Amino acid sequence: MKSITKTKIKTKSKMIALLLTAAMAFALLAGCGATETTTTTSDTPVSEPTEPDVQPEPAEADEPVAEDSGAEPVTLRLFTNLPDRQNGQGLIEQMIVDEYMAENPHVTIAVEALDDESYKTKFKAYAMDGMPDVVNIWGQPSFLDEVLDAGVLAELNEADYESYGFIPGSMEGFKKDGKLYGLPRNTDIMAFYYNEKMFIDNGWTVPATYAELLELAGTIHDAGFVPVAMDGGEGWPMAIYLTDLLLKLNGDVANISKEAINNADFSNPVFAEAVQLLIDADNAGLFQTGYDSQDYGTAMSLFTNGQAAMFYMGSWEASMALNQDIPEEIRTNIRAFFMPVVEGGQGLATDIAAWNGGGYGVSASSEVKEEAIKFLNYMYLPEKLSKYGWENGVGMSAQDQSEFMTGEETELQKIFINIINQATNTSGTPINDNGSSLLKTTIESNIQSVSNGSMTIEDFLATLVEACAP
Amino acid sequence: MDKLYRNKLVISTLILPGLLLFLFAILGPIILSVFYGFTDYSGMGSYNMIGFENFLNLLKDDKFGLALRNSLLLALGFLLIQHPIAIIVAVVLDKLRGRAEGIFRCIYFIPNVISVAVIAFLWKSVYNPDFGFLNKVLAFLGFSGQINWLSQENAIWSVLVVLIWHGFGWGMLIYYTGIKNIDPVLYEAASIDGADQKNTFLRITLPLMKPVIQVNVTMAIISALKQMETVYLLTGGGPGDSTQFTANYLYQQAFESFRYGYGNAIGVVFIVICLGVTVFLNKVFEERQEQ
Repeated sequence: MKSITKTKIKTKSKMIALLLTAAMAFALLAGCGATETTTTTSDTPVSEPTEPDVQPEPAEADEPVAEDSGAEPVTLRLFTNLPDRQNGQGLIEQMIVDEYMAENPHVTIAVEALDDESYKTKFKAYAMDGMPDVVNIWGQPSFLDEVLDAGVLAELNEADYESYGFIPGSMEGFKKDGKLYGLPRNTDIMAFYYNEKMFIDNGWTVPATYAELLELAGTIHDAGFVPVAMDGGEGWPMAIYLTDLLLKLNGDVANISKEAINNADFSNPVFAEAVQLLIDADNAGLFQTGYDSQDYGTAMSLFTNGQAAMFYMGSWEASMALNQDIPEEIRTNIRAFFMPVVEGGQGLATDIAAWNGGGYGVSASSEVKEEAIKFLNYMYLPEKLSKYGWENGVGMSAQDQSEFMTGEETELQKIFINIINQATNTSGTPINDNGSSLLKTTIESNIQSVSNGSMTIEDFLATLVEACAP
Repeated sequence: MDKLYRNKLVISTLILPGLLLFLFAILGPIILSVFYGFTDYSGMGSYNMIGFENFLNLLKDDKFGLALRNSLLLALGFLLIQHPIAIIVAVVLDKLRGRAEGIFRCIYFIPNVISVAVIAFLWKSVYNPDFGFLNKVLAFLGFSGQINWLSQENAIWSVLVVLIWHGFGWGMLIYYTGIKNIDPVLYEAASIDGADQKNTFLRITLPLMKPVIQVNVTMAIISALKQMETVYLLTGGGPGDSTQFTANYLYQQAFESFRYGYGNAIGVVFIVICLGVTVFLNKVFEERQEQ
């Protein structure tokens, strides 16, 4: 009897152990299943409508096969740094995505959009674990060098784009060893946006020289306004300001900055002179108090709320003229001028800080590479990105836009088109983006210290040398 | 049931989830981090083993030194400002009783339930020299001129205020719970013996709170060392590198400067420092307990 009970207990224990094991195995398998679902969802964010950075595809694309006989359904993943899909360039991109899906019902485009910093971080994660099919890229060494070295972008055939009207030289930043890996989207121009009505009401005139600009700063300050709203918290706008000054001092930035970066040698006195001019701007009170810790949005709102007379930013903000969120009396009076000449400098008034920055590329590991390139080419048809961009006043394209001029452009658009037509020289890639990403982060953090007087010019240039040293 | 618990299959089944979690979520990443710390990996493409080069560069890296100093400064701020006040507030709250006790407990804990992003943007706005709340109050009180609270000289102190304010409620709540667990009979006995409030606090409350203080102080120092998100959103480590903290610097190096290997080396040193601090604090508290 005892042995029977013992056997029963043993059997019972084994049964429980087996049950526990089975339950554990089931739980683990269930866990694996859940992970897979989550991964799929996050990888194809179009199916997750609650994510703010994710765009639901239009209803007509939900059942693609029904409308397109024979074609295999294809899902393209577009990874972009344009999270605002209702305004500006994000809107243009979304319009083209919707049109492509409508014209190609078998294609579904899943859009994943993040702001610049998050975008670059996730881009890197994707580079390790499979890149989406079409991605936003920057044709600048600080971003593209590492990306091309890693071989994550597919080569494009330059001959395919002969009829696309790209501005000569605009593709150069997207090439390596003569091979093309991406296409430029914009021509970016840096400008001082100013409130023309405020200038006229106060009797101020647009400065013709840098000295006049600094003098004007005092006058504007005395009138109770911020002279120039500067996004100094992020570093890059001030680095472009420095590039602008280098151009006005030297008449050329591309060659001297590339030479300095390649040789890790910033002893050319023009660098120290340009930094000194930046410090002079701080001393003259050109920028708002605390500019070195304030971000893009804060600086822009100072200008769009009428607290600042000027705003130093790129041509991509030309859409301010059409932005209904900005009060009408400010919106309709926004004009732009460009970095004034520096006395004794070699740069002309028509030498401007301009470059081709953002663009698109195709993943080398894309399983639908052919469709991805087809979509890329579709975006760059002159009547798409270029035309829509122009019509919506979102800045200058890297393609010829003259055929889309209607005569009804905003004053800001006319100012930008005039300066690009009259330009005698352009800066090319700004100095912070012209070297490694380490140089970029070094310039962008230390430029705040040097401009506010916490770091000497010598120390600043020494940190650049260190960042460039092999 | 005893036999069941002695069954090796059952034992291994029960510890398996914890073991797997430890291996894949904790040990695995640490080993990978140590491995990448010995490489020149940019985060993309191929990499080379470079031995101790990253660690040697760290020794010469002034910015890392500054970041570490700021992290330690924050830890001191937590120890010398946040926690003494938190203990006193917890004691006062305990004495309040009634509805006021609950209301104030909630009020002090509110900053902890607000998202870090909201906290950062809220304080950015408070500190703004043009339209910020602080300068408006000063102007109302008759002070002229704009104070730049986030200037290169002031930023670190302004950031410390935010971080101390943000973590205050959490520290206070743990102390409050510790005080609540002290047997009220001890206070009654002390009162009968004629002990005043100061003596009651120093001879009953504080000694019985030692385990709570040990846990709270260790957690506060570790949280100071790994501070990242509030600083990243509030100042990004600037102006210059004036508010650079170790974890923020690690992020910048690994993900913005494309120095993933170097970032991992910082991570390894960071883990060693955290472990060292924890062991040191445990020793300090053990010795005190023995005394």
